Amino acid sequence: MLDDVRVLEISAPETMLAGRMLADLGADVVVVEPPAGSPGRRFAPFLGDIPGIERSLTWQALNYNKRGITLNLSSPDGNALMRDLAARFDVVIEAAGWGKRSPLDSIEFSQRTIRCTVTPFARTGPKSDYAATDFTVMAASGSPAMTGDIDRPPLFFPVPQAMMEAGADAAIATLAGLIARDRDGLGQRAGVSARIAAMMSAFGQALVPGSGNPESMRAQGAMVIAGAQVPSVYECADGFALITIGFGPVFGQMTRRLAKWAAEEGRLDRRIAEISWSSFISDLMAGKASPQDLQALVDGLKSLARSKTKAEIAEASRRLGLLASPVMNMKDVAGYVQYRERGLFTPVSLEAGREIDVPARFAQFSNYSIEIKHPAPKLSEHTAQIFEEELGLSKAEIQALFVAGGI
Amino acid sequence: MAAPLEGIHVLDLSWVMVGPSSGRYLADMGADVIKVESSKRIDPVRTLGPFKDGKMGPERSVSYHNLNAGKRCIAIDIRRPEGREIVLRLAQWADVVLESFTPGVLETLHLGYSDLKQRNDRIIMASTSLLGQTGPYAKGTSGVGTMGAAMSGATYQIGWADREPTGPWGPWTDAVTPRFIVASILAALHRRSRTGEGCYIDVAQAEAGIQFMMPAYYEYAANGTIPERHGIAGSPLQAPQGVYPCSGEDRWIAIDASDPGHWDALRVLIGGKLRDAKFDTIIGRLRHRAELEEPIAGWTHEQEAEAIEHRLQAAGVPAHVVSGGGDLARDADLLEAGHLNKIDDPVFGQAVIEGPRFSLARTCLSATRRGPRIGEHTKEVLAAVLGMPETEIAQLGESGVLV
Repeated sequence: MLDDVRVLEISAPETMLAGRMLADLGADVVVVEPPAGSPGRRFAPFLGDIPGIERSLTWQALNYNKRGITLNLSSPDGNALMRDLAARFDVVIEAAGWGKRSPLDSIEFSQRTIRCTVTPFARTGPKSDYAATDFTVMAASGSPAMTGDIDRPPLFFPVPQAMMEAGADAAIATLAGLIARDRDGLGQRAGVSARIAAMMSAFGQALVPGSGNPESMRAQGAMVIAGAQVPSVYECADGFALITIGFGPVFGQMTRRLAKWAAEEGRLDRRIAEISWSSFISDLMAGKASPQDLQALVDGLKSLARSKTKAEIAEASRRLGLLASPVMNMKDVAGYVQYRERGLFTPVSLEAGREIDVPARFAQFSNYSIEIKHPAPKLSEHTAQIFEEELGLSKAEIQALFVAGGI
Repeated sequence: MAAPLEGIHVLDLSWVMVGPSSGRYLADMGADVIKVESSKRIDPVRTLGPFKDGKMGPERSVSYHNLNAGKRCIAIDIRRPEGREIVLRLAQWADVVLESFTPGVLETLHLGYSDLKQRNDRIIMASTSLLGQTGPYAKGTSGVGTMGAAMSGATYQIGWADREPTGPWGPWTDAVTPRFIVASILAALHRRSRTGEGCYIDVAQAEAGIQFMMPAYYEYAANGTIPERHGIAGSPLQAPQGVYPCSGEDRWIAIDASDPGHWDALRVLIGGKLRDAKFDTIIGRLRHRAELEEPIAGWTHEQEAEAIEHRLQAAGVPAHVVSGGGDLARDADLLEAGHLNKIDDPVFGQAVIEGPRFSLARTCLSATRRGPRIGEHTKEVLAAVLGMPETEIAQLGESGVLV
């Protein structure tokens, strides 16, 4: 769909997903790394748990479908090549570190270029020069404060997330710039604050005080509703299952079906199963329902979950329409028949003679298909090819650049 | 300059979070988004808080406004033939249609992609659901973002090793999925401007969640290791990197001084036991991680989180308060960026909602407006968009279609 779009991505953790999404959607994406390799190549996990410039699995996961070149942007040679190259591309994506000028600032871009810059915080403002990493940006997003249990410290994702959130929004910002250019032929600068992007996963946390409400506290392990401890994840026979007790006109119906199932399995008193869960909260406030009934439901669900496997809970959830699902680990994800048969996966080569299936098709289209055309580039894999094709450099000139340390 | 999607028409048949949030992105980019709702089938997000001043009510959900800012709303019963015809006529007007019904429902209402395409062969239609439209478990399966998180491998990996997983906070895939929907729609709009070709887009929320967990998926697929939950924040390969208690109730500072330069700066600032030679190297810091954490926590726990953030930043050490809702609401970075915007609602007065997630320098984005009330624009849309005469609108009203 983007087969007429050419993207130069100056590799940084926050640009990786942006460039890959655009490449997946058909753009020709060239990722530019410093001669020592992108920081993304030093992200764990590593192939076979052995580190190496070509062994980062994070790099592999976020750079397939791109070609790769190296360029020392702080050298005059590299800077001049970047200027010439940028003139031949539609889009440049970069992440500017805190307080530092971007090496691209000295380049005068064509009026048609869309230049998207990701910064940790807003580009102007009191935190624009903050020292930041993915970890501290996530802390600033609002979601870790809500993640985990109140008797212990906040929890973070085991996979860096600010770079994912910012990368995805950078892809969107770039595409918005592209659509504007489709109209009037003019490019522009687009900006993404990784912090604001990551706030998407904090949902409306920032809005709670402004709407006249007390701040929420993290209480995921067991939310306290009317004095009853209501967990979200239950231990089941072979792992864990997520089971949600919802109220209100839509979600309350699902709770009713869930309670009915627990009663049929002999794990819950029939009387509890027949309670009107849709109106439970308002009934509770009106004194027409009892908090003990909610506790009884939770206890029944704990007993029910322990007697069932993940697969059985998934089957019941589909059959009965419940807010319940297996808590899948990555092995479950890799083997899930729904993902398999739907065509989520496509193979990619990991190293010589070794392929894995990758859940690459984040969207399916009636007249387009996301494919992995080539694996993540090896360091400098396409440097000579691209300088020859794009800039008409001779073999001797390319060698000279290498000798001078520019590539 | 006009916003990028000015003149683009979006028919938003979706509800709860993923679809509406995708529509919000498009509204921010200047698209005219018409949301179809019904007082007989209100958007469930209207029953979710925060509610203005904590008082429940379908027109008081601030989340609703945050997800539907800048849209227009018509109230119709799409199960009635006249209601269905209105949807089809709006599909003729639309460039993009969004929907998040349980897979199979729209087809039974004869409002599926093939029905809409018959009226408008350039239409770009995006469907989103927990597991997608195809595959053995697709039809009839509905679900929410906590289930998406559970089925994407995320929930399993977040929590304390001695307790059940807690998972990410909230309906996590509801935050992730809109990005893939919006990027797909924009790519499709770009293609359509060249070829005239529309398309159907199917995004499964659980699958979208996997995208943000790809490194963990690769760890299993390549190394055979199933990533487990470890509790503590911070990487096992980087130290110091973690959260430390501050004065006050549930106050924390996140510090990431694993980079050698940052570590030197932190060490100079805190001094004391951190000067011990065993912390000179990353190997030493990892081997003695518990001992390393103790003096840092000892230094942080009597200071206010914000004061520590400023002291560490002054020394060039990456650090930030672990922000809660209150911190975010008064955060100078967000206020300066204009991310928190006041809205004025005729029902409940003022509240704050978020602005767009990115900025464009030349073609501005739409100003942040409130979300619509149920059916607020029904007459306006029927008259101005569909050119319906007033008598016909009155007739539809009387026969109970416009509810």
